[in-house]
Amino acid sequence: MSDDPFEAIKATFFQECEELLGDLETNLIALESGDTDIETINACFRAVHSVKGGAGAFGLDDLVRFAHVFETLMDELRSGRKAVDEDVVQSLLRASDVLNDHVTAARGAGPAVDPDRSQALIAELETLTHGAPVSGTDADAAGDMDDDFGFTPVALSLDDFGAGEAMPLMDLPALDLPPLDLPSLDAPVVTGGEQTGWKIIFRPHPRLYANANETALLLRELGRLGPISVEMDDSGLPSLEALEPLDSHLVWTIHLDAPVAELDVRDVFDFVETDCDLSIMSVMAEGAGASVVSDSLPDLDDGLPSLDTGAAAEFDIAALVAMAQADTASRLGGGGETAPVAETPKSTAAPAPAAPPVAANNATAAAPAAASAATAPVTIRVELDRVDRLINAVGELVIQQAMLAQRVYESGLARSSDISLGLEDLELLTREIQDSVMAIRAQPVKSVFQRMPRLVREVAAMTGKKVKLVTAGEDTEVDKTVVERLSEPITHMLRNAIDHGLESPEEREAAGKPVEGTVKLAALHRSGRIVIEISDDGKGINRQRVRSIAEERGLVTPDQILSDDEVDNLIFLPGFSTAQEVTDVSGRGVGMDVVRRSIQSLGGRISISSNPGKGSIFTMSLPLTLAVLDGMVVGAADQTLVAPLAAIVESLTPKAEDIHLVGGVDPVLMFRDEFVPLVDVGQTMEFRNEPTELKGGVVMIVETEGGQRAGLLVDAIHGQRQVVIKSLETNYRHVEGVAAATILGDGRVALILDIDVLVNTGRRRTTSLAELKMAS
Amino acid sequence: MTEDLNPVITLPAILDIRAAEPLKSELMQRRGHAVTLDASGVERLGGLCLQVLLSAIKTWKADGQALIFLNVSQALTEQWTGFGASPDEFVAQDAA
Amino acid sequence: MTKTVLTVDDSRTMRDMLMLALKDAGYNVVQAVDGVHGLEVLAEERPDIVITDINMPRMDGFGFIEGMRADPAYSGVPVLVLTTESDAAKKQRARDAGATGWIVKPFDPVRLVDAVRRVAA
Repeated sequence: MSDDPFEAIKATFFQECEELLGDLETNLIALESGDTDIETINACFRAVHSVKGGAGAFGLDDLVRFAHVFETLMDELRSGRKAVDEDVVQSLLRASDVLNDHVTAARGAGPAVDPDRSQALIAELETLTHGAPVSGTDADAAGDMDDDFGFTPVALSLDDFGAGEAMPLMDLPALDLPPLDLPSLDAPVVTGGEQTGWKIIFRPHPRLYANANETALLLRELGRLGPISVEMDDSGLPSLEALEPLDSHLVWTIHLDAPVAELDVRDVFDFVETDCDLSIMSVMAEGAGASVVSDSLPDLDDGLPSLDTGAAAEFDIAALVAMAQADTASRLGGGGETAPVAETPKSTAAPAPAAPPVAANNATAAAPAAASAATAPVTIRVELDRVDRLINAVGELVIQQAMLAQRVYESGLARSSDISLGLEDLELLTREIQDSVMAIRAQPVKSVFQRMPRLVREVAAMTGKKVKLVTAGEDTEVDKTVVERLSEPITHMLRNAIDHGLESPEEREAAGKPVEGTVKLAALHRSGRIVIEISDDGKGINRQRVRSIAEERGLVTPDQILSDDEVDNLIFLPGFSTAQEVTDVSGRGVGMDVVRRSIQSLGGRISISSNPGKGSIFTMSLPLTLAVLDGMVVGAADQTLVAPLAAIVESLTPKAEDIHLVGGVDPVLMFRDEFVPLVDVGQTMEFRNEPTELKGGVVMIVETEGGQRAGLLVDAIHGQRQVVIKSLETNYRHVEGVAAATILGDGRVALILDIDVLVNTGRRRTTSLAELKMAS
Repeated sequence: MTEDLNPVITLPAILDIRAAEPLKSELMQRRGHAVTLDASGVERLGGLCLQVLLSAIKTWKADGQALIFLNVSQALTEQWTGFGASPDEFVAQDAA
Repeated sequence: MTKTVLTVDDSRTMRDMLMLALKDAGYNVVQAVDGVHGLEVLAEERPDIVITDINMPRMDGFGFIEGMRADPAYSGVPVLVLTTESDAAKKQRARDAGATGWIVKPFDPVRLVDAVRRVAA
C-alpha cells in the first residue's frame, strides 16, 4: 500500500478506469449488436462520465477534454436527441479505443496519444453531436468541461478566488490565468463614493427549510464575512393556532459592516437563491444610503460554466495532499483508519431481509432496482498482498501438515490410531482451507476478453479483412496471476488467427464463404484446468507448406512420418514462421514458439488442430492456479521428483515382453495395442549416465498437451500428493525438463517435472542416438 | 384533559424542522393555561421552531397567560439573539 | 461531537477522495455505491449530512434525494449534490428533489469541506 494517500487514490482511479473502460466496451458492443436499451446507453454514459470526473480531479487535461466530447455525444444519445445508428456506434467504438489510449498514456503505461488522431476523433464526435466540429485544436483546454452553455465564466471564477482567499486553510498556488475582462458587476460598488458594507433583506420560502437549509446557518455564514447586525420582522407571524409550522413568516434585515465583494455575499445565498426573496444593497459611506445592487432575480451563476471544474483541478490535488499531510500528526497511529485502499464498505453488506423503513417507504422507486441488488454479490476489497501472505501461510501449513504426517507414520503408529485419524481429518481440513484460499484469488477471464474486441478491430483494419469476434465463457474463473498472463498469448493467437488464418474478403467470397470471417474466443474448465480455445473459420493450415518449411529449416527430416496433427504442431517449433515476410500484424519477430514457451512457463500447454479450408483451433490449457499442484511423487536415480497428476494416464510395471527396441536402440512400450516411446527419466535428466534397469522400474504413461503419449520410466512411485509450488527460477535457475520445485513432508526439496519438455527432450535424445547409430 | 397536562414542557435539544410540528401541538394542547418551557437542554434552534416560539409568546400574551422560559441554555440565548429576536422579551419572560 | 457524512457515489475514486478530505476535516464517513444502497445506509447509519453523486446505476441522485425527502425522519438532514454538471437545469432538478446545495466536481477539498460546514448545523 502506498503511504501517500493521493497516490493510493490515483491507483484506485486507474484501476477503476480499467473496469469502466471494460464496461464501456461491453456495452458498446451490445449497442453494436442492436441492443439500444436506454440502460445500455446510460451505462456507456456513466462509464465515460466517471472517467472524466476522476481525470478532472487529477488534472489529466487531455483525458478530460477527450472524455468530455465523448460524454457530450453520449448525453445526446441517452436523451434521445440523437438516434443510435451504425455510424454512431462505430464512432463510439473508435472513441472508446482512443479513450483507452488516453487513460493508458495518463497512467504512464503507454505513449502519449497522437494529438492528430485524438483531434480527428473529437471532430468526428462533435460532428455527430452538433453537426459540425466545434472546438479547435488550440488551448480551450480543461476549462471547457462544462461549456455546454457557451460563455463568460467570469463571475464564478472571481467568486472562487475570493472564497479561496477568505479561507486561508492552506496556500494555494496562484493560477496563471489570462487577465479577466471584468463585467459590470463591480460598477455599482465603484461609483458613488466609498462602499462600507451591505444591507441584505432576506425572506425564506418554505422550501428553503424543506430542503434542509437553515436561516440560522445563513446568518452564521454572513457573520463570517464581517460584523453583522440582524433585525427580525415578525409582523407577518400569525397566532399559534393559525401557524403552519412548515410555512415561513419571518423577514430578516441584515447589516453587514464590511466592504466585501458582492459575490462573497451572494455566495452565502448560493444554495437558497431560488428558495427565498433576497435583496442585496450596497451601503455607502457618510449615510449616502443604500443602493440596490441586485435583487434575487438574476441567476448570475446558474448556467455558467464554473471555472473551478477545470482550472481548479491542478490545485485540487495539491490541496488534497497538503490537507492529508498536514493532518498526519493528528492521526495518532491510526494508520489503517484513513487508508482508502483498505476501504471496507460494510454498507455494501446491508442485509436485504432487514428492510429499512426508508426503503419500504420508497418502495416504488426502489423496487425494480432492488431486484438486481439481491443478486449482486457482496464484496470487499482486499489488498493482494494480504491474500498472498495468506496463501503462503496456507502453503506452509500444507507442508507442515505433511511433515507431521510423515513423522507420525515413521514413528510406527497404527493407521487406525486416534492420532492418525486426527491427522487425516487435519489433512482434509487443510485441503479445504487451501481450496478456499485459492478461490479468493480466482477471477473471471472477462477482464482479458474485454480487451480483445478492440484488438480484433485494429488487426482487421490493418489487414483489410472483415472479422467478427465471438466470445464465450467470459465468466470462467482462474487464479489472478494466470488471468494476468493470459492476455499476451491470447493477443498473439488472435492476431495470428486473423492475419494467417482468415482469408481476404475476396478469397472468402471466391471460396463460397461469408465475406466476414469469424474468430471465436472461448474459455472453459476442463479436468481441473482452464482451457482457452481460439478458433477461426479461415483456410486452415497448409500442411504441405508447413512440412516443407520445417524440412528446409532442419526441424524434421524428410523421411520422418508425421501425423496431420504433428505437422500442424510444427509451427510451435523454435525458428518456425510460416509468414513469407514478417507482417506488420503478427510479425514483430515473435513466433508461435515464443507463445508456446510463455504458456509452458505457466505450466500450460498449447496445441493446434486444423481442418484445411475450414479453419483452425488453437487450444491452450493452463492450471487454474500457479500455487499448488496435484502430483505423483516418484523416485529416479536417488532423486525425488513430482509428476503433475493431470498428465498421467496410468502407471504400470512393465513386463519384459512389452518392451521393444526400435532400431535396436529406442525403447518403446506396448500400451493398449500401441507403441509409446519410453523416456528414461533418470538418464534424460542426467541424474545418471547408465540407462535405468527396465525390469525393476515403473512406467507412468503420460500424455502431452499435443496428445502425444509416452512412458516415463522411473525407479519407484511413492504416492500421490498435493504439493505447494515453489518457483525454481526465483530460487535457483531454469532447468530443462523441470517446471518448478516443492518441499515434501520430510523437508526434502523435490523437482516438479515438465512433462512436455521431458518427453520431447527424451525423444530428441533418442532420435539423436538413433542418428548417431546410423552414422557410425 | 388539559387539566392533567404537565404545565412544564421540556424543549428538545434540537429544535429543527422535525421539531416544529410537535412543538406547536404540545403548546396548543396547553392553550389558555400558564406554561413553563424548560429550555436548559436546547442546543440548536432553527427558523421554524423560532416561529413557533415567537408565535406562542404573542398568543399567550394576548391570552393574558404566562409563558415562562426556565433555565435558558447559553446556546439558545445566543441563537435566539442571533436571529435578531428580541432578547428583552425573552429575558422578561424568564424573569417573570 | 463527530458528525457523520454519508457519501453516495458509484465511483470508487470519488468515494476515496471524499473519504480522505472529509476524514481529514474531522468527519466520520460512511459510504454507499448508488441511490438504492444509499437509502439503506441512510436508515442504518443516520448520518448528519449526505453527499450524493447524480449519475449512478440503479437509482440516480435525484431518485435518492426524493426517496430520502419522502421520509420525514430525514427532513432537516442536508444533502449536497456532487456533480460536474453545473448547469441550471441540473441544479434546479436537484433543488426540486430536495437538495440542500451542491459541490462542483472536480472538487477542491477546501470547497468541499466549506460546503459541508455551511449546511451542517
